[in-house]
Amino acid sequence: MQVDAIPLALRYKIQYPDEFINAIKRGEILATKCKNCGATYFPPQRDCYNCGKNEMDWVKIDNEGELMTYSIVFQKPQGFENYDNYVIGIVKTKDNISLMVWIKGEPKVGTKVRLTTDGIRLIGEVIK
Amino acid sequence: MGKRVAIIGVGNSRFGKRDDVSIQELAWESIKEALNDSGLSQKDIGLVVVGSTAYRGVELYPAPIVAEYSGLTGKVPLRVEAMCATGLAAALTAYTAVSSGLVDVAMAIGVDKMTEVDTSTSLAIGGRGGNYQWEYHFYGTTFPTYYALYATRHMAVYGTTEEQMALVAVKAHKYGSMNPKAHFQKPVTVEEVLKSRVISWPIKLLDSCPISDGSATAIFASEEKVKELKIENPVWITGVGYANDYAYVAKRGEWTGFKATQLAAKQAYEMAKITPNDVEVATVHDAFTIAEIMGYEDLGFTEKGKGGKFIEEGQSERGGKVGVNLFGGLKAKGHPLGATGLSMIYEITKQLRDEAGNLQHPLKKYIGLVHNVGGTGHFAYVMILRR
Ligand SMILES: [Zn+2]
Repeated sequence: MQVDAIPLALRYKIQYPDEFINAIKRGEILATKCKNCGATYFPPQRDCYNCGKNEMDWVKIDNEGELMTYSIVFQKPQGFENYDNYVIGIVKTKDNISLMVWIKGEPKVGTKVRLTTDGIRLIGEVIK
Repeated sequence: MGKRVAIIGVGNSRFGKRDDVSIQELAWESIKEALNDSGLSQKDIGLVVVGSTAYRGVELYPAPIVAEYSGLTGKVPLRVEAMCATGLAAALTAYTAVSSGLVDVAMAIGVDKMTEVDTSTSLAIGGRGGNYQWEYHFYGTTFPTYYALYATRHMAVYGTTEEQMALVAVKAHKYGSMNPKAHFQKPVTVEEVLKSRVISWPIKLLDSCPISDGSATAIFASEEKVKELKIENPVWITGVGYANDYAYVAKRGEWTGFKATQLAAKQAYEMAKITPNDVEVATVHDAFTIAEIMGYEDLGFTEKGKGGKFIEEGQSERGGKVGVNLFGGLKAKGHPLGATGLSMIYEITKQLRDEAGNLQHPLKKYIGLVHNVGGTGHFAYVMILRR
């Protein structure tokens, strides 16, 4: 006989760097760069695994890149049910940093995109 | 290099939506079969590893429960997890215990009961199979999305087509319909795959493996033990390989294959002193149809970019260059995460022993390969098996 088991509701709180979230609100995308060895991190890291130091500068990411690949999400997961179909893409900048973004405009592999934000997340706008 | 290790017993439950059993009953189906297959009993086993991702079932900590139900209490000090590669991660752990000389006989049990939560919850859990903080939270990734990113790039760079991907599903369902333990029992056509509902373009419903319940078990023994027990049909593990890759998928730099698979395969081939051309029968991790096409390339069965042609030419069929996923693969046999890698060992062991019945691939060298990917290229394991 099948019965309803007791549901497990998981509620989480997580931490983001203030600098990163405030920059997104301004339309900017930040990475961290090690003051000691110059290694750049995206996603941003507080700790440098390259040299072991933990003093970082926040640096702006080049705002133009190439769309490397994408997918159009039809079946949306929990928390995203109310969005229209959205396009998740990977964009590589001239500085060779690759980011996950939502793509606005007609997606095509190899097309140039301008990196910005919608105040909440990173956006890649297809350049006509 | 450690001691030689053989597989001396294998078991595989029926895969599918198994709401007729609890997780411990499901595990027992394959444990019992593996014990019978080896001629051993619980007291002969020195160490048991349970591979289970567990997140989709009510039992979040299934190892002690499985151990108790199966008469293995006292022998199960750990559970292993490597997302979808959990099964082969558990196998590697058991192999290592024997190879190191810690024990003479070890068992790896893979089990997951994934259909206890609803599909929406399952999708949300799968979508976190990357990096929640920097991916899912902002972009609403789903598990199919990650594979779709690889499919789109493979199509753009190498001209791989949706029809070629559909052929992987057609092959899987054909063999699945011949395997009574498979989740899906019906063949599909290319047209049906292409017309199925889009999940995360270019991946459609019939490009995707099902959410399955199942278990599989393998028993590993040292060479001395094989002789002592007079095992007639040992299957030797002659090569193992393992690797991982960045969690944040954008960081990987290229999206047409899995670097983790390439590294694991190289390691396994070198240890086994063989080349990809020696492999006659294989299980390739086909969670989505594009995964099998990339697998052909990453494992060296064909050149980079030619995976689509490889399936089109029938080279991965039974009787082809390399018989791939002849029991139906993840795509049709099913993909109960913890069980999958061990189910692959079950399948290749059956093939190498000439016990695969109407799914038997013709063998000359008796060399097989198993390939299990965790997450979307986050982990990869490869094992080379020989009779
Ligand atoms: Zn540094």
